[in-house]
Amino acid sequence: MTGYILSRVLRAIITLLITVSLVFIFIRFSGDPAAALAPPDAPQEVIDQYARAMGLDQPLWQQYTSYIGGLFRGEFGYSIHTGRPVEALFFDRLPYTLHLGLTALSIALVLGIALGAIAAINRGRLLDRAVMGFSVFAFAMPNFLFGLCLILIGALVFQVFLAGAGANVLFPALTLGLAAMGSFARFARSSLLETINAPFMRAAEARGIPFARRLILHAAPNAAIPLVTLVGLSLGALIAGSVVTEQVFAWPGVGQLLVRSVATRDIATVQFLVLAVAFTMIMANLIVDLLYLVIDPRIRVK
Amino acid sequence: MPHFRRFLLTTAAALVTAGGAFAQDRPDLVIAVDNLWPTMDPVIGISTSGARVHSNIFDTLVRRNRWEDPDGTELVPWLAESWERLSPNVWQINLREGVPFHDGHIMDAEDVAFSMSAERLWGDEPLAPRGTRYARGIIRVKATGPLTVEVETSYPDPNFIYRLVTPLGFVLPAHYYQEVGTDAFGQMPMGTGPYRMVSFDPSVSVVAEAFDDYWGGDVPADSLTFQIVPEFSTRFAGLVAGEFDVVVSVPADQIGQVEGTPGVTVMTKSIENYPMFAFNMLETEDLPDNPLTDVNLRQAMVAAIDRVSITDAIWGGATFVPAPFNFPEYGAYYDPDRQPRITYDPDRARELLAASDYAGEELSWHIVRGFYPNYEIAAEFMVEQWREVGINVAIEIKDNFSLAYERPFHLLNMSMSSEFSGDPYRPLWMDWGPESSRVRAAHRTWEASERFYELGEAFEQAQEFEERNAAYLALVEEWENLTPGMYLWRNVVSYAVDADLDWDPGNSAVTIFDSLYMGGGE
Repeated sequence: MTGYILSRVLRAIITLLITVSLVFIFIRFSGDPAAALAPPDAPQEVIDQYARAMGLDQPLWQQYTSYIGGLFRGEFGYSIHTGRPVEALFFDRLPYTLHLGLTALSIALVLGIALGAIAAINRGRLLDRAVMGFSVFAFAMPNFLFGLCLILIGALVFQVFLAGAGANVLFPALTLGLAAMGSFARFARSSLLETINAPFMRAAEARGIPFARRLILHAAPNAAIPLVTLVGLSLGALIAGSVVTEQVFAWPGVGQLLVRSVATRDIATVQFLVLAVAFTMIMANLIVDLLYLVIDPRIRVK
Repeated sequence: MPHFRRFLLTTAAALVTAGGAFAQDRPDLVIAVDNLWPTMDPVIGISTSGARVHSNIFDTLVRRNRWEDPDGTELVPWLAESWERLSPNVWQINLREGVPFHDGHIMDAEDVAFSMSAERLWGDEPLAPRGTRYARGIIRVKATGPLTVEVETSYPDPNFIYRLVTPLGFVLPAHYYQEVGTDAFGQMPMGTGPYRMVSFDPSVSVVAEAFDDYWGGDVPADSLTFQIVPEFSTRFAGLVAGEFDVVVSVPADQIGQVEGTPGVTVMTKSIENYPMFAFNMLETEDLPDNPLTDVNLRQAMVAAIDRVSITDAIWGGATFVPAPFNFPEYGAYYDPDRQPRITYDPDRARELLAASDYAGEELSWHIVRGFYPNYEIAAEFMVEQWREVGINVAIEIKDNFSLAYERPFHLLNMSMSSEFSGDPYRPLWMDWGPESSRVRAAHRTWEASERFYELGEAFEQAQEFEERNAAYLALVEEWENLTPGMYLWRNVVSYAVDADLDWDPGNSAVTIFDSLYMGGGE
């Protein structure tokens, strides 16, 4: 078991290092950040001064070793525009993204599993088809389009503005969580159906255990195993996917900060934010891997 | 006595109530913007998104009167009460007395001298390097009295005062700037303007409140919020729902639809910036046999394009195609009857093409994605018109300017600003002369003829209007003979506004919400 845990942790560290390196390289080959800070017709001397201020006049390997060294010391750099530590900018925005992401995940989980269970219980009936039709729609609907529809209907029909920092989190969360809700519903349905038809469920029925008790105490824990994987993947996707939802709803979270930082070539901020998103996804996967140890005894045995 | 006391109390209460009512009557304005520049230092933050905010927080020494004339051809003394030219190269600026900064400190000549200083704008390693182009030629700035400042230039500049309407003319509080430093100043700036900064988060909003000690009189709004809303549809929804008062950047193809919305007014303003492209006329290592070294090909390419029809089709009359450097904002230098030397004439284009050595090579046109509204659409029309006469141009869309500047390219998108010089000096000579980025930068595109340089120097030296106008026309003629680029149209910005809001910014991307621009400039 220790070997299992160590191998997962090592894999997470290597993935992080590769991500950081790729971001470092790509951001430097997607246009000169110093030139982006100067006006389009700026003289070369002005661009050079920005390059010196950002340390971009150093050889690439030196910039890289200095950056990686800084990471190990917990020094992530400063925003070229504001002079503030990049982690401070991130933590300013993080509560908004967590509020949005966790609300979206909660909506997706509660509604998704409930819909999946309803569909499984009513397998083959009209209700099953209706729920599955809705889940396909939810999964296929681009979230920016759904968000814009919500906002425009709110404004044009009800004269209510559903976006902005002061708006209710429900609508951006519904937008962000829609696709995940669709996935959860489909997975919950198929997983429950598989479990409901398993021999141990028939044995429980034969022992006279009531249906609700069989469903909640016997079927649900077993059906939850594939869902845990999906939730882990979705958690990362919700944070990365919040970039689009935050843009559409003008939600002042990490996603909007990332877009602004890319647009203004604030390389230290971009590097940190990508690192943070990668870290979240990798940690979510690591936690899922470790959760398997708890919920699936077969892995512990292996 | 009790009666008198009661009278005093009643009067005081009435005044308080009246004052309160005045304050309550003022709106809290919310302007939905597509983005904000990450610093509000008015020079480091030079940009369209910055300019929407700066003039509400800061004042310039001189202002252009756009509240009565949308093109702002008249200069108005602002923080500078007057000015005089002491010698051909030395100007004295006389400052207004008793102007408070937002912390109550009274502006004086030291603040102006610092704001325009070598340390800040034009020295070897200035604090705000983006200001160098406005400070060109300045060699001395000195406070010569409590309210007088002298500025010396290395060459006689008859239009120096026009520069004081630009970011060069913003006056910053030296004591506060030096105390907090450049970065912190950009995050919580202070000026003498009608609004005082309350909070600034570059990825969210700027919030400013009315500065009631403003030297310029009543401040018409209780607060101003510039809120980032990246998506136009979301901005529009906020306007319809009454959340926003002003929304910027209405996409050209949606103006008609937005105009039809009850309670919403759309304003389209042509501004002092002209999108164009430059021909790369140089033979370099990466472009050894550049066909554009042949002036016949360049002129054929200009003659092949029906710019007027393209501009009308795209902009629907909101703007126009200028003759080179002939801009309405230049007052006496503007000649509404002057036409471009090369106009749309496909037959002439074919003749010129036949006279050139062009053999059908593909010419690459670097265009920055979405930077100039409608540029890509126009480019597609133009590529087809070139194809009709036998010229093969391929558009290459780039994500930013530094990628667009990477060679090889044959055509490069750009724009020419006409601001600040009062005459065509800046777009014609500063932007195409020997010190320009067209000649000196890594992405340079031409080496002008000896004659162009001679004419340019004569233009630079000319001080009186008649002489300067003649030199300008001679220089333009030579520019057109050489044809190093082609103008498209005068740039356009658009706003969707709550129909009840009485505000008009004039022909400018600068938005000011003071009593001159709100309430009809009364």
